[in-house]
Amino acid sequence: MNYLFEHLLGMIVCDENGNSKEKYECHSLEDYYKKNEIEKKIRHTFKDLQEPSIEIKKRILETLKHEKNAHAFVEYNRDLTKEAIKNAVTDEFLIIETINAIDDLSRVENMLTKRLRNWFALLNPEYEHVEADNEKLVERIHHKKTEKRKGSMGADLHVSDQEPIIELASEIEKIRHTKIKQEHYLEKVMNRFCPNVTAVAGGVIGARLLVHTRSLQRLAMMPASTVQLLGAEQALFRHLRTGAKSPRHGLILAHPLLVSAPQAMHGKIARALADKISIAAKIDFFKGTFIGDALRKALEEKFS
Amino acid sequence: MKAAPIFEVYEQQKGKRRYLYTKSIAPGYDVYGEKVFKEGSEEYREWDPSKSKLCAAILAGAANVFIRKNDWVLYLGSSTGTTVSHVSDMVGKKGLIFAVDSAPIVTRELVFLSEQRNNIAPILADAHHPESYEHRISQVDVLYQDVSQKDQVDIFLKNIQLFLKKGGYAILAVKARSIDVVKNPKEIYKKVYEQIEQQGLKIVDKRQLEPWQKDHLILFCKY
Repeated sequence: MNYLFEHLLGMIVCDENGNSKEKYECHSLEDYYKKNEIEKKIRHTFKDLQEPSIEIKKRILETLKHEKNAHAFVEYNRDLTKEAIKNAVTDEFLIIETINAIDDLSRVENMLTKRLRNWFALLNPEYEHVEADNEKLVERIHHKKTEKRKGSMGADLHVSDQEPIIELASEIEKIRHTKIKQEHYLEKVMNRFCPNVTAVAGGVIGARLLVHTRSLQRLAMMPASTVQLLGAEQALFRHLRTGAKSPRHGLILAHPLLVSAPQAMHGKIARALADKISIAAKIDFFKGTFIGDALRKALEEKFS
Repeated sequence: MKAAPIFEVYEQQKGKRRYLYTKSIAPGYDVYGEKVFKEGSEEYREWDPSKSKLCAAILAGAANVFIRKNDWVLYLGSSTGTTVSHVSDMVGKKGLIFAVDSAPIVTRELVFLSEQRNNIAPILADAHHPESYEHRISQVDVLYQDVSQKDQVDIFLKNIQLFLKKGGYAILAVKARSIDVVKNPKEIYKKVYEQIEQQGLKIVDKRQLEPWQKDHLILFCKY
């Protein structure tokens, strides 16, 4: 009986004691990539080739442990691993980086806006006081559309002292635009990667669920009741530990259906929504047909 | 600087604390921000017990870690290569380490490390499935495993069976919290001992890693 073991360093044909009969050495990775051709050739000469057992494999692996092979082991494995890392970059990685970038941008935007408010209030406290909308405030400062009232508490700053304030406002506007662009991009990647989840949950919430579960596979394997509470772990375990109120929703709280609903309906909607997201994730993972729109329509009809 | 009782490890006593070092085979580089300093023509890298369980095991009193110069080592769960770099120092330029990890992002760092040190063969594969990398490695003298998986002992035994030479040593970092969050670590350890000894391995030494790592145990076994 003859056995064939395909190894990085060569194709080895051996008998049942693991003694090698014939060895087709690989002198580079290119040789290894051609292993199918070599295998054909080998099968032509040896008709009774079989899969080696663990014992035989062990014997072969023992013979390969030799100082002269060390260099090849390092070189080949390094190149194969580089290739594998290159191919490991999937849409999931892009989604995770994008959603994290969006979160970071929001944080920076809020921080800088707070600073801008404090700074601008030196110049025109009355306007800063009445304008609650951050976006509008930033925009008007940037385009110098802020008029000073008579008898204002604001200092009469020299133009050169007003300049940096306006610059900060323009920077904040830029950050907001970047954020919006990245949200559009996220929507696009999500639509490509998991169209059903995106249709039901929306790009941002869908992406957050993915980040939280770390992969679409895990999200697809989860029961709907788990999806409903993803992101509310703290509250859930507090509920289990102390008997406090159970949470009704986790990350899906930001969904438009829930935001606009009356408090009393939150539990019901969250449950139905999680159901549909769970179905959608399963379809996406197993590459089924697109029914995201129908799922969302069913929800919207039921709750609005 | 003097040689520690353990092969290829150096030590220094500063006050009450004992510091461990390995002799760098890639002078001029630090790997994870550790202290590096020269003595004579040699360069030594400080080994941080809070970042490396093997180092913690030595400081916890292990008399031997069974890794010697020119050894071939299979390292499962290499992560970014903190401990790997010190093992790489220990086996020296004629030794070899097959470093296996399943996460692409951390393996990237390992590839960079391997370009700096010519005795590390990085492999992106899942240690659950030895058959997925059996064609990329050879038999080894020492097997080291540090993976945070629920079935870490099964993985350990599977890999020993296929890759460790008879009479070789296997080192297992047991993470009690990965096996079971609520159970008492002592009970978990007991089960681990049983499982390992059933496979005909002899446990030579065991070290708890307090205070550097909580609920961790390092086992040294002979095959």
